[in-house]
Amino acid sequence: MLFSRRLMLGLATAGSLASALAFPALAGEGPTEIDLFFPVPVDGKLARDMGTLIKEFNEGHPDIKATAVYTGSYDDTLIKTRAAIKAGKPPSAVIMSANFLLDMQIENELTNLDALIKADGTTKEKFLGQFFPALQGNAVINRSVYGVPFHNSTPLLYINADKAKEAGLDPSQPPQTWAELTDWAKKLTKREGDKVTQWGIEIPCAYDYCGWMMETLTMSNGGRYYNEEFGGEVYYDTPSMLGALSWWNDLVTKHKVHPPGATPGPAVSTAFISGNAAMMMLSTGSLTYVRDNAKFAYKVAFIPRNVRNAVPIGGASLIVPAGLEAEKQKAAWTLIKWMTSPEKSGWWSRATGYFAPNMAAYKTPDMVDFLNKNPDARTAVEQLDVAKPWFATYKTVPVRKNLEDEVMLVLNGKKQPKEALAAAQKAADETLKPYNAETSLKLP
Amino acid sequence: MKLMERLYKDAPLATRGEITPKLGFLLTVLLAIVWLIPFLWMVVATLRPASDGINAMAELMPSLKPTLDNIRDAWEIGDFPRYTLNTTIICAGILLVQFVTITLAGFAFARLAFVGKTLIFYLFLMQLMLVPVLLIVPNLSLVARLGLYDTLTGVMMPFFASAFGTFLMRQAFEAIPTELEDTALIDGASLLQRIRHIYVPLSMPSFSAFAIISVTSHWNDFLWPLMVINSPDKRPLTVGLSVFTKTAEGTQAWGTIAAGTLMVIAPLLVTFLIFQKRFISSFVTSGIK
Repeated sequence: MLFSRRLMLGLATAGSLASALAFPALAGEGPTEIDLFFPVPVDGKLARDMGTLIKEFNEGHPDIKATAVYTGSYDDTLIKTRAAIKAGKPPSAVIMSANFLLDMQIENELTNLDALIKADGTTKEKFLGQFFPALQGNAVINRSVYGVPFHNSTPLLYINADKAKEAGLDPSQPPQTWAELTDWAKKLTKREGDKVTQWGIEIPCAYDYCGWMMETLTMSNGGRYYNEEFGGEVYYDTPSMLGALSWWNDLVTKHKVHPPGATPGPAVSTAFISGNAAMMMLSTGSLTYVRDNAKFAYKVAFIPRNVRNAVPIGGASLIVPAGLEAEKQKAAWTLIKWMTSPEKSGWWSRATGYFAPNMAAYKTPDMVDFLNKNPDARTAVEQLDVAKPWFATYKTVPVRKNLEDEVMLVLNGKKQPKEALAAAQKAADETLKPYNAETSLKLP
Repeated sequence: MKLMERLYKDAPLATRGEITPKLGFLLTVLLAIVWLIPFLWMVVATLRPASDGINAMAELMPSLKPTLDNIRDAWEIGDFPRYTLNTTIICAGILLVQFVTITLAGFAFARLAFVGKTLIFYLFLMQLMLVPVLLIVPNLSLVARLGLYDTLTGVMMPFFASAFGTFLMRQAFEAIPTELEDTALIDGASLLQRIRHIYVPLSMPSFSAFAIISVTSHWNDFLWPLMVINSPDKRPLTVGLSVFTKTAEGTQAWGTIAAGTLMVIAPLLVTFLIFQKRFISSFVTSGIK
């Protein structure tokens, strides 16, 4: 008796719980509901800023109801977007790492934006003309527009100016070549016996960041990371990349001015802010954090060159996934245009440290004011003159990890650069094989 | 040595004069301290004002001017009561259904005779070898087709059956003497009554051991809820917390992260402290160590 009563009670609770949990999605009249997937590029407070931004959009557009959906890191965001598309529930817009666009386009997961641009009565050239030319390589695929740049970055060299002066270096003349940088790093490293109390320089190496830094160094060494015209080739086992990795490895093992092991980005910025590292190479996306937290004078400079001044862009673009109804596509397009307008992209840039991709943002009074007060925010924009696209290949993430795993082994002292890069190349060729077999050549 | 003596008072009389248990006890205390350090750091970092500077963040010494700013920040960024409720619903929902499924399945494998029993059981156990990440896309499309995308039920669904739980209950049921069941059979008890009144009460330690494992693993799960849930008000704690910790190119505010982490682990920690004795005894009797 007791048993059955309990059972009934349990079933009743379970039933009411289930009905409370499964909200049926009511498709009725009213505003078009769209989801915007966004990763958190900088820190938690920005998730709140994103909420504010979307709220403002919804208030100004009563016929659209956008919801900002937090989706983890850049890599998690790709997984979630893909899974949602495959499950038949694509989001209407996504802030996607700019170098994932090619892979998604190859997999037919993106909406070609040309028609939406045309429907606005403008041309591709005019539309893209709003953005810095360096960003177009990651937005245009086969002459069609697939992404709209939203927040972008370049790597920068951050210098603790106080420590530089202390070491007899002139922070207004930052190092311009690798040789000078090595020299600075040696002078800025402090030791007590065998123990290092202050590192000369730190360069982050963690998944996602490591590949970007390798591209940065390879480009400054005159080389390329991948084939910019074709998604099936990477150039890991090349003299230029070997030179880049060897120099990085020398900083660790030969000069002992860079801590051994693969350090994630947040640990690098923490070391810099706390004075444990006198210089660091990091994204301009960290600039606001450094500005807010540094208790010392700091200086940002171009990434020094070995052969040439060149950096990859980073950051994220807005995309529209494939398979959406026309109404949602249009609503998403309205949102994207609003978010990338000069005012909004400028506001986001000031909040994060990323530069605003829309060139007109730098003409708004708020931005002119801001740059006058914070001239350090100019460096990344100036560096755009020598910026090139971010590596993008078929299966970008696995191909990138093929390299990153090996670079981490080198920094941990477990492998030599030469054999590591050969192994990375072999692994990447294997990952890229299906695409090559399908497109350029029939491999054995 | 006063402290040692006081701590030592509880040791069984027969072993008090021996040196090995003393050493063992000392080692345990040392281990406990090592284990405690990260927790202490988290609490200290949570209460540390930003004005102490980032250098101080690495210190274990508490700040002289503790502040609740970090907790307030974390509280404002995330809707923690809602996240906690969602996580609780997910863990409890999964566990309730699992109890039913693993009891019935465990009983079937332990006591019923049917064709291909061993083969089916091994197939069942093979599930344990599949990495959950592999199943994200097929699971998600199934959940979406059932109309459960963006619902908490959708988060729970794939875990309703548990290979590990079935295995655990099969072992527990097999250890129960069949004579007990036979007696009940003579009294005219039905199959479900026998399970309810003989097998379940005698396997309580295994149930609690399984409950702990199930709840902690789903409490900590991040990727699957991230895939299923879109609405901010249905986020579980892990997804809410990762807003603080997942940075792409940026930097981290350690104080806020510490505060957020503290809020996330607090419910589980408090539950553990309250039910500590029962947890430990359940692991001892169920043979999992």
